Amino acid sequence: MKMILVVLMSAFLTTGALAQKSFTIGMSQCNLGEPWRVQMNADIKKSAAAHPELKLIYKDAQNDTLKQRAQIEEFVAAGVDLLIVSPKEAVPLTPPVAAAFKKGIPVIVLDRRLVGDQFTCFIGADNRRIGRAAGRWIVEKLHGTGQVVELKGLMTSTPGQDRNAGFRESIKETGIKVVFEADMKWLEPDARKEMESALARFPDIKLVYAHNDPGAHGAWLAAKAAGREKDILFVGIDGLPQEGRTYVKQGILAASFEYPTGGREAIDAALSILNGKPPAKEITLKSKAFTPENIEKGGEELP
Amino acid sequence: MKRSELMQQGRQWIRSPFARALLALICIAILGVIFNADGAFYKWSTHRDMFRQISVFGILACGLTVVIIAGGIDLSVGSLVGLNAVLFSMLTIHCGWPAAAAIAACLLAGTAAGVSSGGLVAKFRLQPFIATLAMMVFARGLAKWISGGQKVSSAVQQADGAYSYVETPAIFNALNARIWHDNVAVVSVVFLVCLAVTALILARLRWGRYVYAIGGNEEAARLSGVPVKATQLLAYGLCGLFSAVAGLCQAAQELQGDPEAGVSYELTAIAIVVMGGTSLAGGRGGVGLTLLGALTIGYLEKILSINAVGEAARLMLTGTIIVVAVIFQKGAKR
Repeated sequence: MKMILVVLMSAFLTTGALAQKSFTIGMSQCNLGEPWRVQMNADIKKSAAAHPELKLIYKDAQNDTLKQRAQIEEFVAAGVDLLIVSPKEAVPLTPPVAAAFKKGIPVIVLDRRLVGDQFTCFIGADNRRIGRAAGRWIVEKLHGTGQVVELKGLMTSTPGQDRNAGFRESIKETGIKVVFEADMKWLEPDARKEMESALARFPDIKLVYAHNDPGAHGAWLAAKAAGREKDILFVGIDGLPQEGRTYVKQGILAASFEYPTGGREAIDAALSILNGKPPAKEITLKSKAFTPENIEKGGEELP
Repeated sequence: MKRSELMQQGRQWIRSPFARALLALICIAILGVIFNADGAFYKWSTHRDMFRQISVFGILACGLTVVIIAGGIDLSVGSLVGLNAVLFSMLTIHCGWPAAAAIAACLLAGTAAGVSSGGLVAKFRLQPFIATLAMMVFARGLAKWISGGQKVSSAVQQADGAYSYVETPAIFNALNARIWHDNVAVVSVVFLVCLAVTALILARLRWGRYVYAIGGNEEAARLSGVPVKATQLLAYGLCGLFSAVAGLCQAAQELQGDPEAGVSYELTAIAIVVMGGTSLAGGRGGVGLTLLGALTIGYLEKILSINAVGEAARLMLTGTIIVVAVIFQKGAKR
């Protein structure tokens, strides 16, 4: 009798050990209302699909800091093996992430930064660098001179500030002049509205630099309604397949600069952490430029 | 004698809500003349574009005018814009429905959503604020669910994750175009039609009189034989119908259905109705006032835009001007 029990117990233990081979990963997304973040989750899902030992649980904080905090705490309580967090903002979300990290749960921070170093790995792209690259490309395309409209995302957000600052660095001391700039709040209808005002004021606009692709598309719609879309080039940022890359293919945008989601890289990092080989503390994602010339070849990596 | 009578009439007119709303509009127009942004304000295209930009809000405001006069409020109109923009894009672009069928389906969906809110108010005696708040949240969720959280555009995702591209249906370009020698946007014509329909209902139909009656005093209206519940159902239904119309116009102008479209549009639409002089307490107001309110808000936004005023200043100025205009309206004699 005792023997049978022992055999049964050991059988349970072995299956238990085998089950240990699978890992549960909690993914805390700050806002699935943005297509870019939907894409991030899709990228994660796609990469994780190749690794059946990974089990992912997704949570969406709906752009609410406190909700995200609660969701991170839920993941910790549920005892996940690894956390991926794309935080809404740095300061309020640093403590819950640090608490998880101190409990021994590895944490990968995606896209936006946290304060301090209480996490395993940060993966993100550099908006300022992308803004600089866009600026350089624009200077070259316009041969260093011409009137430009800048449609800004939201100047109270860091991506907006960085995409603006990088661009301005590159066009400094060239003949490129920003004659009209406005906040379009990342929204296409607002971009169209602002562009209509720019068109009413300036008859010789050469290019529109928008902080995201929907903004550039909205500007194009305004120019098209005014019959001026052929005289103006449109440049956007993000390069999502269904937005920026589509617009480049359709000949609407002259260029779209990719802001990579890092979804694939997050799963790569997660796998190496779970296999005991922690990656670099900070991974900066490479970005691509998509233009009509290179779109079929899958874009061109920025230096 | 004659002269003093005229003066008397003039003084009365000046104190009417219509005159107050008109004066507010004129004040804004004067602002435009002062801050004309190097003459941009004097271009016809500026005014034409302003009227296009305010059209979607104006269409929502038409439906809201009826609901507000009936003593209610509808917070769901912005979410219904998003829902119908997505629905319309999916039916026409992805499912390949003919335009007429897709339009009919959307109008039906919008009306059904409106009637549902109305049912909650009329049948279950829910506060209109709560009933339509619930509909606002529900409709936004539905829009995100049926679209998978992505914009519905001519880039269609295949099962393997790759994208294929289809032609944008002709109805989108038709609604996004301008007519009458390029002078009026089609969506603005749609707005004017909605205004005319609302005006006709409120002024000519018996049901329109019922709307005023239940908004003024629901109990008295009930006692004098007004079918309160049916009137409420119709009011919210009409508001839902107009929200669907606005959703179609929104989709056409963006060439896609965005599940996030129309966020906070209900607030702008309510501001338009109130600035016009329709009372939030119900029973008083009209759709002509709403047109003036729409033009006032439209010109305000346009003037801030052509002068490239920063976002923070814009919000503060808009808030201030709405308050001033409404205080001005409060002095009106009804």
